[in-house]
Amino acid sequence: MSVKWLFIRKGISAISGLILLVFAGVSFYKSRHLKEPVVLSPGVSQVKKLSEYFTGIKGTINDSNVYILEGEKPGGTILLIGGTHPEEPAARLTTWIFTENAVVEQGKLIVINSANRSASTVTRLGGAYPPDFTIPTSWGGQKFRMGDRWSNPLDQWPDPEVYIHYPSRQELAYVDIRNLNRTFPGRPNGTLTEKTCYALTQLIRKEKVDIVIDLHEAELQYPVISTIVAHQNGLDLAALASMIISGTEGFNIGVEYSPPALHGLSHREIGDHTDAISLLLEAPEPFLDATRGRTDRALLLEGKDEFVVKAGRHGLLFEKMDENGWPIDVRIGRHCSTILQIIELWSEEKPDKTVKVREVPRYTDVIEKGTGYFLRNPAKADPKKIYYE
Amino acid sequence: MKRTHTFLFLFLLFIVLTGASFSLPAGQAEIPKVNLPVLITSCGQSTAPVMLKVIFMRLKLEFKPKAYEVKELAAAEDLKAMADSGTPYRSLIITMGASLKGMGAAGISIDDELARTSKLIEEARRQGITIIGAHIEGIKRRAQGAAVGDNTDELSIDAVAPNSDLLIIKKEGNADGRFTIIANEKNIPMIEVEKTLDLIAEFKKLFK
Repeated sequence: MSVKWLFIRKGISAISGLILLVFAGVSFYKSRHLKEPVVLSPGVSQVKKLSEYFTGIKGTINDSNVYILEGEKPGGTILLIGGTHPEEPAARLTTWIFTENAVVEQGKLIVINSANRSASTVTRLGGAYPPDFTIPTSWGGQKFRMGDRWSNPLDQWPDPEVYIHYPSRQELAYVDIRNLNRTFPGRPNGTLTEKTCYALTQLIRKEKVDIVIDLHEAELQYPVISTIVAHQNGLDLAALASMIISGTEGFNIGVEYSPPALHGLSHREIGDHTDAISLLLEAPEPFLDATRGRTDRALLLEGKDEFVVKAGRHGLLFEKMDENGWPIDVRIGRHCSTILQIIELWSEEKPDKTVKVREVPRYTDVIEKGTGYFLRNPAKADPKKIYYE
Repeated sequence: MKRTHTFLFLFLLFIVLTGASFSLPAGQAEIPKVNLPVLITSCGQSTAPVMLKVIFMRLKLEFKPKAYEVKELAAAEDLKAMADSGTPYRSLIITMGASLKGMGAAGISIDDELARTSKLIEEARRQGITIIGAHIEGIKRRAQGAAVGDNTDELSIDAVAPNSDLLIIKKEGNADGRFTIIANEKNIPMIEVEKTLDLIAEFKKLFK
C-alpha cells in the first residue's frame, strides 16, 4: 500500500471518529443540560438549596432544590428523597407529583426530586440507555433525563482502587464511592457524593426530620423488591404500613430488615446517625434486569419484556412478571400510596407529630388517570412558580 | 313402620354427618384452645414476628405481666425461665419462612435456626404449651422470595408446620396446597386468611 493511500485511510478514519464525537458530544451535552421544569404546588411554601444545610456543596451540580411544604398547624416532619438513583425513574416522578400537587394542612413535608443531580446527567456507561424519556400529558408531554445509578464521572473522578466507607471503614465496591446510597452518612471533606450525603444528613438533623423515605426501584432478579426496607427504629411502622397497604390499596408490599452490618445505605446510616426513622421503598423495574431485551424508552415506561418473563418461568425472579409488565404508572402509584399510608399511620400513632397531606393521588388514581395527569403545564404556569431540576 | 323409622334414622344420620363435614373440612381437626401469655418467635428470622407484634399491639389483650412477647431468637431456656418464674407461656407462635437478610443480620444460618426451633418445640411440648405455626408473608416466603436455588423457606416450614397444634396461613403462600397437605396428613387444624390484616379478627377470636 502506498503512503498516499495510507494517509487517505487514516484521514477518513479520523474524520469518521470526529463526526461520531460531535454527534455523541451534542447528545451528551443536550442530555446533561436538559431543563426539567417543576411547577410548584400551591402547598410549596419555600424552595431552598441543599447548600443551605452544608455550604461545602454550594455551586456544585448537587446543590439540589429542596421543596418545603408547611401546614398551618405544627406537627411532624417527613422527608421524601427522590433521585438517589436517577435510573430508577418512578422515584423521581413520585417526588415530582408531590412537589406539583401536595398541599400540607399540618406538619412539614420536605421533598427532594434530584438527590444526586450529577447522576441524573449521565446514563450507564456502555449500557446504550436512552438519554431521556417523555411522560405523555394532555398538553403534550414532559421530557425527563434518564440518569444513572452513580454520579457522573465528569463531576467526580477518578474512582479509587478501593472504597473504604466512612465512618464504618467497611470495604465496598470501588465504583460505589459515586453511589449516593452507599455513602451515607457522608463527610464534609469527602468526594462530591459523600458531601451530598453529608448535606442530606445535616438537613435531617437541622430540620428535625421524623421520618425519611428514600424512593427506589429494583430489578426483578433482586430479592429485595416490592418491599419497605426498615431500620430497626421504623420496623413497627413499616410492618403496619405493609399490612394495611396489602389489605386496602390493591397491591402487596413486604418488609425487610435493614442489615446492621451493611454500611453506606440510607436505611442503615440515617437511622444510626440521626434521630429520624429511616425507610427505603423498592418498586419493580424490569428495565434494570440483566436478562432484559432491547433497552429502550418503551421498556423503561411500559416495563414489558419477553426475556424477563422467560426468566420468571425459569424461577429466576423474586416478583411476578407477565405480559402486562410493570408500567411506570403502577410503579409510581405504589410509591404514592405507600408514602401516604406511612404518613397516615405515623400521624395516627403520634398525634402530636401529625403530618396531614392532601391532593396527592393514590395507587388506583395514578393507574386510572396516568402519571401525566398529575404533571403541570409549565407553559401555563406563573414563571415565579417554576423551578428547574 | 319399623322400616320407615330405620330410613328416617339413616336419613338424619346422613344429614348430621354431612353437616359436620361442611363445618370442618375433610381432615380438619378441632381448633385447640389457646391462652395467654404468648411467645412469638421466628424460624428463619423473617420480619413476620414484627407483623404479629403490630397485630397484638392492636388487639390490646390484657394479661399480667405481659400478654405477648416477641423474641426473634427465643430459646428453650426462655420457656423454662418463664415457667420457673410462675407465669409460664401458654402459647408459642413460630413464624415460618426465612430471610437471608434477617439471618445474616443475626449472624446465624438456617441450620442454627432449625436446631433452635427443634429444642424450642421440644420444651414447649414438655410444658404443654400450644404451638401455633404461622406463615403470614405469602409467596414472598415460599422459596421464590429467598434466593435462586435457596430452600431455606421450605426447611423452615418442614421444621415447624408438622409439629404445630394449629396452623395459621396466608392463602397466597398456600397456592400449591403445601400447608393443606401437612394439615390433612398430621390432622392439624388450619386457619387460612386472605389478607394479613384478617389476622386481627382471627387472633381476636382465638384469644377471646
